[in-house]
Amino acid sequence: MIPVEHYVLLSSLLFVIGSVGFLVRRNVLVTLMSIEVMLNAANLALVAFNRSRLRHAVEQAAPGPSHTGQVFAFFVIAAEAAEVAVGLAIVLSLYRLRRTVRSDEADLLKN
Amino acid sequence: MLSLFPSNDYLLIAVILGMPLLGAFVNGVWGKQLGKDAVRVMALTAVGLSFAASVAAFVALSQLADQQKGEHVKLVWNAWEWMNTNGGAGGVTVPIDVKFSIDALSGVMMLIVTGVGFLIHLYATSYMADDEGFARFFAYLNLFIFSMLVLLLGDNLPILFVGWEGVGLCSYLLIGFWYEHAPNAAAGKKAFIANRVGDFGLICGMFLLVHYTGALDWNGIANGASSLLHTGEQARVHVWPLGGGQYTGVLSFLQPKSPVTISAATAVGLALLLGCTGKSAQIPLYVWLPDAMAGPTPVSALIHAATMVTAGIYLICRLSFVFVLSPFVMVLIACVGAATALFAATIALVQNDIKKVLAYSTVSQLGFMFLGVGVGAFTAGFFHVFTHAFFKACLFLGAGSVIHAMHARIHDGDPSQDLRNMGGLRRWMPLTHWTFAGATAAIIGLPLTSGFFSKDEILYRAFVNRTVNPAAAALQGRVYAPPAWIGTALYATAVAAAVLTAFYMCRLYFLTFWGEFRGWTVGRPSLLSKHEVAAHDDHGHGEHHEDLSTPGHPPHESPWQMTVPLIILATFSVFAGWLNPGFGLSRQPMEHWLEPVFKEATEGAVVYAGGHDAAWAEHMTLPLALGGIGAFLVGTLLAWWMYVSQSGAPAKRAAEAQPALHRLLLDKWRIDELYDATVIAAVDSLAETAAAFDRAIVDGILARLTALVVAASGTVLRAFQSGVVHVYAAMMVVGLAATGWFFAVPHANATVVDSGNNDYLVTAAPGVGYAYRWDADSDGKPEKSDFGADSTLKLHLEPGRSQTVHLEVKNSFGLIRSKSIHVARPEEPTSSL
Repeated sequence: MIPVEHYVLLSSLLFVIGSVGFLVRRNVLVTLMSIEVMLNAANLALVAFNRSRLRHAVEQAAPGPSHTGQVFAFFVIAAEAAEVAVGLAIVLSLYRLRRTVRSDEADLLKN
Repeated sequence: MLSLFPSNDYLLIAVILGMPLLGAFVNGVWGKQLGKDAVRVMALTAVGLSFAASVAAFVALSQLADQQKGEHVKLVWNAWEWMNTNGGAGGVTVPIDVKFSIDALSGVMMLIVTGVGFLIHLYATSYMADDEGFARFFAYLNLFIFSMLVLLLGDNLPILFVGWEGVGLCSYLLIGFWYEHAPNAAAGKKAFIANRVGDFGLICGMFLLVHYTGALDWNGIANGASSLLHTGEQARVHVWPLGGGQYTGVLSFLQPKSPVTISAATAVGLALLLGCTGKSAQIPLYVWLPDAMAGPTPVSALIHAATMVTAGIYLICRLSFVFVLSPFVMVLIACVGAATALFAATIALVQNDIKKVLAYSTVSQLGFMFLGVGVGAFTAGFFHVFTHAFFKACLFLGAGSVIHAMHARIHDGDPSQDLRNMGGLRRWMPLTHWTFAGATAAIIGLPLTSGFFSKDEILYRAFVNRTVNPAAAALQGRVYAPPAWIGTALYATAVAAAVLTAFYMCRLYFLTFWGEFRGWTVGRPSLLSKHEVAAHDDHGHGEHHEDLSTPGHPPHESPWQMTVPLIILATFSVFAGWLNPGFGLSRQPMEHWLEPVFKEATEGAVVYAGGHDAAWAEHMTLPLALGGIGAFLVGTLLAWWMYVSQSGAPAKRAAEAQPALHRLLLDKWRIDELYDATVIAAVDSLAETAAAFDRAIVDGILARLTALVVAASGTVLRAFQSGVVHVYAAMMVVGLAATGWFFAVPHANATVVDSGNNDYLVTAAPGVGYAYRWDADSDGKPEKSDFGADSTLKLHLEPGRSQTVHLEVKNSFGLIRSKSIHVARPEEPTSSL
């Protein structure tokens, strides 16, 4: 069995990649993809912990099979889907309005 | 009549009061839609029914008075409870009810107000017929009748005050009735503000009465009046230092050697007197009444001559039992009255506006009434109110009739009221002339007319009466005694005023009705183009005189609606004096009628001057009457000589001989200018100061500076609003990191609580996964080497000792933070103070 540290390491790596992408890229589509990467990093951590350590603690409190992490991950996936739908609609509107998908050119609210 | 309503629940008062109110409401709300005919019917019906009900009530009252001889009988209607307050020595509950009562005094006034009021309403239906504000005028006039009746019939001071303010409001509204003309609106404001000064006095009087007597209704005040006289210094009203305090420190120079105090009776009397001088136009608050003539003439007749301005005398009569407790106030009333009578008469000598002369005459006559009540002759003073209501209303209505006639020739307001444009009017307006002559005869004191009897009684009483403190014995000699010569001085002043009255009234009468008409040259149609004649002739009297050589329309007699009231009022002016003829005659119906009202007040308080007895006073009747008759003869003959036999030449010579004096009289002694320079200037500068404060502090600092701070911080914060999403995201990350750091490190905090027995309990603040290590004496060696869950430390400290506790906190991440807490117990207090 692969130790949980590996999963966590991978998850952290993905999260850092996502957050750096979110902070430095100017293309709104890429920004959205970065958010997806961060969320999936969190999902990975959730299911990995459910398999190992936390499962131990939960079973002490309430014995029996536990799928809290997995269920949580499904909720995150559902939220992700909604977020992408809204996000892409905003990107389309932005493109129609400004003929651009670069976030630093969308500064109508400046000052 | 009496059996219809019980005297203690006399519902007919509701009709007397309600009808004028209904008229005011209907005319005020629907007047425009109803049209002039309906408004006329409504107004006349309202006042007419009120008068009829008043007569019925008066008859019932006289029957009741006959049944209970000598008793002070009343017809009472208690409408509803209004409110309660506390007052009196024991802080008793003082009920204030909406309660009305008719007694001998208010009954007579009620008849005057509704009766004369009805006649003046009838007169006004013709006088105001062409006015656009016809409905508004009658709404105000009906509202005035209602307010005046509330003033008269109110059974306690607050209800009287409601009426008092109501008539003030109606007076204001009617003086400024033609408000498009700025001076009229200004005159209305002047009347309103001058009356407010008086009302301040009346309110203060009410407060003092409720404080000292614990009552505000007439019976209650009468019962508690004795508590207005105290011998103890603490129980008296402290005038200086105000309220009985003491000035210390830098203000100690203000402290008198012994505090200045007056008895509560004097304080109440002075306060109420201020109110009465305001309403009844006496020195120093008389200035509003002459300007009040800016209103329509029926208003001048009703409000500013016959009824409202006598409210002050009515109040003094009503509360006579309070006023007599302070001989000082009584003498002051008499002096104010005599001074006003003479002063106003001097101004009336030279005025050229017919209404101005009558206005100053009213002020002067009100002065006579004050003189009468001031010497304790309440019946005489009130009888002058009664006769004055008739002859002065008749004079004003006659003046209105003259002005109405002059309007046929002169369409401008001021020249049509100018005596210099009149003359010879008796030829064209015989009815107006004869009624005016009758009323003039009354006011100048032609023997056997009403004014002769009432004025003569006042002159007589001013000489023979003296007011003394009825409780002098109980006050152990601490009473005010007026100087012995005061009676002679008052009598001489009043006689001088009577001479002037006879002179200026005859001057007015002769200039208006005798000689040749001087108005031909004013507004002469031959001097105007035909077009202008057509445009100006809004009265439509007679044919247009197109022949330029003829003098134009003559003045004309007024319609019957105006002459009938004149005839009735003139009849009363001439004959009403027989109701109280004085001169020791046996038939004195008015005095007999009012005796129960004033008996209580005058007993022991009003005596004969110089310790004389009734026989002496009777002996003095005829010699003193010579003063009044002499005044009449001198004034009348002088006026006859000046204005009839010499056609005004001596008057012109006198004016040219003393131009400065003539100018001063014409400018009314420049009292208005004096008030402008002192009182109004002081108020103005106070207002300027307040305005400067408003501009500098409120607007400048509070408003502008605050706005500036907000705007500046907005400018700075706006720079962060870059509109770039990435910057926001980066800031969010920084914020999240800071929050994360805050939760990642432990926070060492502790509270110290005194738990008694010289023990202190030091409690460390809780946190997730926190463990604690204490070092009570801060020597670097903790009590326990390991961190534990024990979050409290008990510390024993003797007084005056202190100790520093060292606390270390570790959280789940293994991070440690520490804090030193200084705990000190103060010394025990040593002083026993």
